[in-house]
Amino acid sequence: MFGFENITANNGWAMAVVGASTVFLGLVILSFVISQVHKILKLWEERDEFLNRHKKQAQIEEPKKIKASVPIQRHLPTVTDLTSIYRPLVEQLKQPFDLLQLFEISNKMDLPHPHLSIKYLQQAGVLVPQGDGTFTWDNQKAN
Amino acid sequence: MFDLFYQFLSNTGYFLADYRQIIMIFVGCIFLYLGTAKKYEPLLLVPIGFGILVGNVPFFKGFGIGIYETNSVLHYLYFGVTTGVYPSIVFLGLGAMTDFSSLLAQPKLMLLGAAAQMGIYFTLLGALFFGFLPREAASIAIIGGADGPTSIFLTAKLAPHLIGPIAIAAYSYMALIPVIQPPIMRLLTTRQERLIRMPPGREVSRKELMIFPVVGVLLCCFLAPTALPLLGMLFLGNFLKECGVVNRLANTAQSAIIDTATIFLGFTVGCSTQGDVFLTPKSLGIFLLGAVAFSIATASGVIFGKIMNLFLKEKINPLLGAAGVSAVPGSAREVHLTGLKEDPTNFLLMHGMACNSSGVIGSAICAGILWSFFI
Repeated sequence: MFGFENITANNGWAMAVVGASTVFLGLVILSFVISQVHKILKLWEERDEFLNRHKKQAQIEEPKKIKASVPIQRHLPTVTDLTSIYRPLVEQLKQPFDLLQLFEISNKMDLPHPHLSIKYLQQAGVLVPQGDGTFTWDNQKAN
Repeated sequence: MFDLFYQFLSNTGYFLADYRQIIMIFVGCIFLYLGTAKKYEPLLLVPIGFGILVGNVPFFKGFGIGIYETNSVLHYLYFGVTTGVYPSIVFLGLGAMTDFSSLLAQPKLMLLGAAAQMGIYFTLLGALFFGFLPREAASIAIIGGADGPTSIFLTAKLAPHLIGPIAIAAYSYMALIPVIQPPIMRLLTTRQERLIRMPPGREVSRKELMIFPVVGVLLCCFLAPTALPLLGMLFLGNFLKECGVVNRLANTAQSAIIDTATIFLGFTVGCSTQGDVFLTPKSLGIFLLGAVAFSIATASGVIFGKIMNLFLKEKINPLLGAAGVSAVPGSAREVHLTGLKEDPTNFLLMHGMACNSSGVIGSAICAGILWSFFI
């Protein structure tokens, strides 16, 4: 059998249409998913910041909680003070570095509230995430 | 003594030679010439070309020498082709060698890889039109994917008697990319379109590169489970490379393993082209349809690039559509060179590689879909 008769008899038209649309659909879905992956990752990496922002909003709504959070902040130095304390520590590390390394050094030096201090430096943009879990020190922001 | 000498002579290849074997030996020499002197896909053409020479040395049948004789060494080596083992191993190595970062940076280019697969379905209709059986037509159609291992894999499953001609056609057209693709690209694009510059892709994080093979294998293989032997291995190889904790395995997959599989695949496919089995009118038909498939695949990629430009604010260079066929990295290189001819500062190679790698995924999905039609 030859010609269009053979195509029709063997379901050729249906195979071509279904096959072409399936591969197209598959790659469209895959391209859509991979185009969203970096956004989801970014959201995941910035979850602390996102949660903090959310908490702050909640604190504005509940004035009592704001009062409760003030004393914690009062004990911490300002970002300028923190940069002057942490700069010599960062200089000991090879850029980019893990926050864990910085935390270990600050613990060794017996600095107060290393977790909070590092978090503030991060929020102030002095510690810049590289997207792979490591951080660099932004000298411009630190000054 | 004369009788013994005559008996010896009658057992030699000179005495047993058939004109079809001489023709195939000549074809093998052309493959070796193209691979070595012209450097057209030498990694493929050299083992295949040499395999053609070996497969067409005349011999006495029944002594377990030829590739189609069940107890011969060549037959055991050919087992990897007929079962689809070699193509899967090649895909493992391919995955370990492929950097998907350019694709992840511009996922929209994946659509060009999908568009270039249209050649497969047009050829399916063409092969049925010319009277091929459905399973044969599907095996011939996959040549349009321009992916040797995928073509061999699908043919081994659907029409094992056509492995020789289909593999030779697929690899020949892959090697002839510099001859086939540029005229089609130039014919279908204006100079203005060829001059379009592609923006540099964003930086892709390691986490994204690690997530992609996992997402890819799940999405694609849930859609076409029959593509598992190819895509499973492709994405496994890629995950080995990107996860960064099994560098030894990744290095072996992208060197020793793929090289070994390529040698045996190329050599045994070459050997399978025994003149008496290979030189038939059907083979000629397969070669003609293969050329049509490859040309339509190139054209549909380019045309789809132009269609995308109707809707995109940031235009893409339609030449990239030609790289949607999965001939890695030949077609990406050809797109790059065609772009450079118009503007020596327009570098399209990395964008072409993005389309190329999506073409590999696309053609493997197509193979899975076609196979599933006949299960």
